[in-house]
Amino acid sequence: MSNFYNMPKLPTESSPKVEIFVDDKAVMVPGDTNLLEALKAVGIETPHVCYHPYLPVSGNCRQCLVEQEGPRGRMLVISCYTPVTPGMKIYTPASSARVKNARKATQEFMLVNHPLDCPICDKAGECTLQENYMECGQNESRLRPEYGKNYHGNPAHQFVDAKGQVRGGKHVDIGPRILLDEERCVQCDRCVRFMRSIAGSEQLQLAGRADHTYITTFPGEKLDHEYDLCVTDVCPTGAMTAKYFRFQKRVWLLSHTPTVSMDDSLGANIWLDHADGRIYRVMPRCNPEVNRSWLSNTSRLAFQEFDKNRLPSMDIESYTFSEGKVALVAGGSCTMEDLAAMKLLKETLGDRAELFGGTLLKVNAPDGIAKSGDPCANRAGMKLMGFADVADLVKRASEFKTLVTVNADLFGEDPATAKPLEQINSIIALSAFDNATAKKATIALGVKHWSEVQGTMVNSLNMVQKLNACPVCPDGKLWAAYEILSDMAGKKFASAADAFKKATEYVPAFAGLSYDTIKSTGKLLEGGNA
Amino acid sequence: MRVIKQTPMNWIERLYIFECLRGLFTTLKHAARGLFRYETLPTISYPEGQPEIRSTYRAKHRLMLRPDGTPRCVACGMCAAACPAHCIFIEATQSDDPRIEKRVMRFDIDHLTCVFCGLCAEACPVDALRMDTKKIVFEHRTRDEFVAHLNDLIDWDPKDYPEDAQSQMAPGGTKNAEALKVWGMEVK
Repeated sequence: MSNFYNMPKLPTESSPKVEIFVDDKAVMVPGDTNLLEALKAVGIETPHVCYHPYLPVSGNCRQCLVEQEGPRGRMLVISCYTPVTPGMKIYTPASSARVKNARKATQEFMLVNHPLDCPICDKAGECTLQENYMECGQNESRLRPEYGKNYHGNPAHQFVDAKGQVRGGKHVDIGPRILLDEERCVQCDRCVRFMRSIAGSEQLQLAGRADHTYITTFPGEKLDHEYDLCVTDVCPTGAMTAKYFRFQKRVWLLSHTPTVSMDDSLGANIWLDHADGRIYRVMPRCNPEVNRSWLSNTSRLAFQEFDKNRLPSMDIESYTFSEGKVALVAGGSCTMEDLAAMKLLKETLGDRAELFGGTLLKVNAPDGIAKSGDPCANRAGMKLMGFADVADLVKRASEFKTLVTVNADLFGEDPATAKPLEQINSIIALSAFDNATAKKATIALGVKHWSEVQGTMVNSLNMVQKLNACPVCPDGKLWAAYEILSDMAGKKFASAADAFKKATEYVPAFAGLSYDTIKSTGKLLEGGNA
Repeated sequence: MRVIKQTPMNWIERLYIFECLRGLFTTLKHAARGLFRYETLPTISYPEGQPEIRSTYRAKHRLMLRPDGTPRCVACGMCAAACPAHCIFIEATQSDDPRIEKRVMRFDIDHLTCVFCGLCAEACPVDALRMDTKKIVFEHRTRDEFVAHLNDLIDWDPKDYPEDAQSQMAPGGTKNAEALKVWGMEVK
């Protein structure tokens, strides 16, 4: 296999429309893309295994065959690697029995040595092979148990099972987070292309040839990369499985909440997959402008700590702030609603209150995949709201008598830098976790974690993105930070939408926005470069 | 369709009193049979006498065993997915046996919720779940005891299923030694 493939060109809103003939019917499709994407744009799904919109096209699975009228008659071509040309004539299974048979035969070959593992396979339910089988396969099995389904991969992992079949490589430990099942692999090389082209660290390779091909790492090396769990997403079969999710839950039992990862200012779009009141896994949610379909391991595995070490809820009768200046500090995971509530509280307290936001953690460089490196997720939002940087507060710590931290673990992030803040005699911590700041605080109030609140955030690309509440809150009495803060100010927001309305009053760039007008992929803000 | 022709009653029948006495005699005959020839009655004096139940009757569940005594269940969740009463609770974990990937860690069937439809046994892809125990009586002190756990479901004796080849492969069965030889094949 060649080492160089082209990235597919995806259709955009500004793609030129060209006319092509699909099954002898004229349709207008985006003209600057491949046939597979063009057909998808007009609602014709083509089954595919190796093609992925954000990976270079390799065209090895041959599952996406269509017929094209050419100078030598109608020929079968792979739609993922055929560019759209005006006036081309395409035949899909809807009109061509030849395409239908070709796809069916491809599907049959793909399953020749694929084990019937679906009952124990973690991918079952979201498996490309299962989908393709239902769509274009549905073959009668022509294999006989004596000689069907033999494993030809890595000779080191072969064994003969109780029925006398050659099997092998059922759980190969290829890295600290991933297990490989060599039997289930169909050699689409998506994972290889991901590690090569996206992760930029070519740790996976195809070894052997033809039927004996198998996925492996270099001798003595392990698959270990910040983005290595993405290979479990791109894998169309259950060959690559994440150890943390292995056998945890059948995927059809999971409910999905679309939200935004609040541990990085790029705000990677994610699905929180939950069941029985807990999060089982975090999956990337495709957003072409933000994280495409990638997610870093840090963001993906962060959910394991979401329900641990939580602060309990607290019943409060009334709030009074003592004399002296008050510093309100917003942490990185504060939503725009929290910031609006803080600003409301500042207005109530008058000139003696000041707003700060940010983090004491180090800001790293963007990695160009799904992380901007800035751990303060809503930094752009804070800038829009007019929050000063938290570094200012550290310098002027002696001026303040009261410190209110909202989801800001200042003492935990950098105890040395936060040292001057210890002289503030009254610290109120609003925090989801019982962290260092909550432990130091005079009063620590438990709030909902960002995975459990509805809200918005502005990411480093100046896009407003929506967070949705995942119903996994460990304590039903917990309030979101904006509810407590607005209650402190005396005007409690009835809902997140209420709080967002207040935010649109504070931020001119938000004018005219509401939860309904922000799409699931976010909305780019006009002006106000953050 | 069979048509039964009603013959008109003759005059003795129409007199009523003789027919009445004949009916009374039938009742007395059965009463006497209950007193003197009890064994020939078609009814069962439950609970002293138990009904005869066939193995196809959908009774309490059991989990089939491999020759080495581990449950055949691979925790795929098909039974739980098929269950219309949502009374099956399964948790899976990694198996220690290199030939087997997934094994069941928790397998609970709530027999208070179960409707004994048999869809679970039908859905099972590995013939691990069966309902042929012939146990149809559930008597317990608390509600929790009606939930059959994994230990309870694998606790059965192959001697109770002499006809069934699969049951005989379990430990204690007649075909166990043979099956174990195949099962214990060298793993490379």
